[in-house]
Amino acid sequence: MELNLDEALRYLGAKSQAPEQLRADVAATAKKLTSAVQPRYTYRVCALHRTNQGFLLPEVNLLLPGADAARMLAQCDQAVLLACTLGAQFETLLRAEQARDMAKAVILDACGSAWVEAGCDQVESELAVRLPGRYLTDRFSPGYGDLPLSLQPEICAVLDTPRRLGLHVTEHFLMNPSKSVTAIIGLSDHPQTARIRGCAHCFMRETCALRKGGKHCAN
Amino acid sequence: MQTELFQDKILILDGGMGTVLQQRGLPPGGQPELLNLTQPELLESIHREYIEAGSRVIYANTFGANGLKLAKTGHSVEEIITAAVTIAKRAAADTGARVALDVGPLGELLEPMGTLPFERAYELFQAMVQAGSRAGADLIAIETMTDLYETKAALLAAKENTGLPVLVTMSFEASGRTFTGCTVASMARALEGLGADAIGLNCSLGPDLLTPLLKELCANTRLPVIAKPNAGLPDPVHGHYNMGPEAFVQAILPCVEMGVSIVGGCCGTTPEYIRQLSAALEDREPGNRNYRAAGFVCTPSAPAILDGVRVIGERINPTGKKRFQQALLEDDLDYILDMAVQQEDAGADILDVNVGYPGVDEAAMLPRVVKKLQSAISLPLQLDSSNPDALEAGLRVYNGKAAVNSVNGEQAVLDRILPIVKKYGASVVGLTLDKDGIPQTAEGRVAIARRILDAALSYGIPKEDVWIDCLTLTVSAQQEQAAETLKAVQTVRETLGLQVVLGVSNISFGLPNRALITQNFLIQAMHAGLTLPIINPNQKEMMDAVAAFRVLSGEDRECRAYVARFAGETPAVQPTAAPGAPTLDDAIIRGLKAEAGKLARRALSNESELALVEGHLIPALDKVGEEYEAGRLFLPQLLSAAQAAQAVFEVIRDSIANSGGAPMKKGKLIVATVQGDIHDIGKNIVKTVLENYGYDVLDLGRDAPPEDIVRAVTEQDVGLVGLSALMTTTLPAMVETVRLLRKLPKPPVTFVGGAVVTPEFAQRMGADYYAKDARQSVEIARKVLG
Repeated sequence: MELNLDEALRYLGAKSQAPEQLRADVAATAKKLTSAVQPRYTYRVCALHRTNQGFLLPEVNLLLPGADAARMLAQCDQAVLLACTLGAQFETLLRAEQARDMAKAVILDACGSAWVEAGCDQVESELAVRLPGRYLTDRFSPGYGDLPLSLQPEICAVLDTPRRLGLHVTEHFLMNPSKSVTAIIGLSDHPQTARIRGCAHCFMRETCALRKGGKHCAN
Repeated sequence: MQTELFQDKILILDGGMGTVLQQRGLPPGGQPELLNLTQPELLESIHREYIEAGSRVIYANTFGANGLKLAKTGHSVEEIITAAVTIAKRAAADTGARVALDVGPLGELLEPMGTLPFERAYELFQAMVQAGSRAGADLIAIETMTDLYETKAALLAAKENTGLPVLVTMSFEASGRTFTGCTVASMARALEGLGADAIGLNCSLGPDLLTPLLKELCANTRLPVIAKPNAGLPDPVHGHYNMGPEAFVQAILPCVEMGVSIVGGCCGTTPEYIRQLSAALEDREPGNRNYRAAGFVCTPSAPAILDGVRVIGERINPTGKKRFQQALLEDDLDYILDMAVQQEDAGADILDVNVGYPGVDEAAMLPRVVKKLQSAISLPLQLDSSNPDALEAGLRVYNGKAAVNSVNGEQAVLDRILPIVKKYGASVVGLTLDKDGIPQTAEGRVAIARRILDAALSYGIPKEDVWIDCLTLTVSAQQEQAAETLKAVQTVRETLGLQVVLGVSNISFGLPNRALITQNFLIQAMHAGLTLPIINPNQKEMMDAVAAFRVLSGEDRECRAYVARFAGETPAVQPTAAPGAPTLDDAIIRGLKAEAGKLARRALSNESELALVEGHLIPALDKVGEEYEAGRLFLPQLLSAAQAAQAVFEVIRDSIANSGGAPMKKGKLIVATVQGDIHDIGKNIVKTVLENYGYDVLDLGRDAPPEDIVRAVTEQDVGLVGLSALMTTTLPAMVETVRLLRKLPKPPVTFVGGAVVTPEFAQRMGADYYAKDARQSVEIARKVLG
């Protein structure tokens, strides 16, 4: 697993123009973070049935409604539910850093965001090895397009994330610890086009801090 | 009942309940506690199967039967728990098996990780244990905990509201920590101190991977040890656990040889596992235990075994410190936290915390300071007070095993404080003085030490939790006493075998070059047997002496810490002499915190505080702000500059406090993250930047209810309020807060920001300003407050 420094720099609003010193600070923080905290994850492969209301995962009694999930899963017969978190230990580090040095704290925060994504990437690599001959869609999360945020607690309940990962969802659908991701990945016998590109489909499109600055988070 | 329960050489618990339910076709997720009402026969039959398989204790189906998880079900805690215990008792009738009230985590994170206060967690557990006790449960099993703080709330609730024995098990990862970072040693010694009847591990891993952790647990407790592991690990692709009953039993046997005496199964285990386990353990006895008696204090993540010199930092104490006194009176807990952070970074092992000062309600302040400190530092605390109410309030909310400073040889004091020390499992410092004062001879002090030890033992406090302070007297006033103190240190350490404490700095009072005398006394005292020096860890001479002592005593193996401390050290650069040294403005712009503080101190010799702020600080910050706006500097650099400015402000505050002048304040505003929102780094960034422009920022924290914000605005007469929201789901709380603020007779100016807030939305909800970042919030504050 590798923490993508460019991704962390993007979260800080800097990319190619990042000054050397900032890049070095991010690299140093990333090194400390990755030796102190490992992303923890759990996932489950489920059958997928098309119904009138949307895609259903019958084993776990979960419905994925809406046009965007339908488009993402159009060619899929299974779906993976995934949760990944840096856990409470990251929150503790972040609180301690905020009490010491806010500048370092925002760097740590950005590195944390990149590190939890690295954990999700790791799950995708694992799936590729465990399920040869199967193709993965891009991963997408509650809040993507018209996929409701209210799925967040349902996915966490199905994956038993409080017990398995120490990951909780509040009544307002916030994940706690904060550096956490839940996602859905479709599985198919056919190669899947990468659909998630740019900002057009992102639920943050109106409000994203990167977009406000004229930037975006896709490569 | 209690002794009877633990009379079995090996006590067999039950196995998984959820696993068996899923085998019988119940889908995962959902609220399994409702089955107590809908499918009592099913549950009873599962209980019965476990009893027939050999379980002597069965867990009632009450794991998640708490007020939070049941809130939306329309059923009360009492109703569900009564039903569950009744079902289990029916299954256990005439079998001799015992019924445990099963108490799992609440499902919400406690402060500081979440927003659930410790006191509220206690109430939720209280309702469970009271209902369980009334329904006739024979014991309480607190299990699957990952947060020591939540575990403490549950255990306190069980002990204070029932007379039932309490088993406590937590879930660890193979790394030896829980999800929240708690270590096995911290768990074991904190829970034993709090009065658990047996402790252990459950869930998360199979018995093979739990074995090393159980060994560590056995070394850290005298209590019976429990193992209730999973049937190995689940496979993510098909969801099955990978360890069959034979392998499970084979892996548990080594644990029993190490002394584990209470066993069962968790996720993935079924009555068949328990049947084989029970058969394999028949006629077996647990092996001999290998307990390591040792002085110990801890937080969850930082266990401190007292097997060498451990430095107690003395800085959190208002005595003789005007700036600290001012912080206490102004309720400036951030200042106190900063004192703690400095000492942790300087290498302290334990922090003394004293917040007693005229005009401060110590019993209210101490627990607040304890909570504040443990939110951001990991060091164990020594609560320093003679007020029993303050000590009890502080110990209650402390997360881990603390120390109490102090008692003395006076019987009334011992009788007042020691029961509190015992109840919360703390260590205690005993001062070798009594109503007749400080004995002038070493023998006299040792005699008092013995008396304190005897009193502690009589209250059930173990010997290793008794620390003796042999008392440092000022050498310039009572020169012969230095030798008596050292002699007392030696005897208490060698003859009584206790930890020895000394407030070292007092030795040099009134002398020039105090550090030299203090350092020499410290070295001699450590040589005589001092293990817990109370010193200022920010003084390099003292920490150097400790580092050297640890090498010579052999504690610092291979001199590693010493080499790390001094390798590559170069002679200090003299910034005054260096050509091209930065100016104050440069130091702020480049974020050189220490440098900026030094330069500010120098500048104050010929400039007023106000001139320093207006002439250097604000212009420098503005320059950084412009660069940030232009995209030439980024957020970390903006914040570095802000923190350098903070160092300058600290110098100014010190200077004003010492001259007795009125504090310089630029105008007050409130910042808060709205109700429902728990992630607050964005708000904290805004706060940092505003404070470093000199604004008085009242931080109402995260998850702040609209009513609280309105009340603070009214009570404190605040003219500007900044609100942050992160999620579309919490925006309504922001709208509501703004609406209530606008209805006030004297509405404050409002500004809003955060990931999901847009300028249009800000306008629509009636906020006065939209702030896209911290920099813009400064512009708004300027317009409104000047």
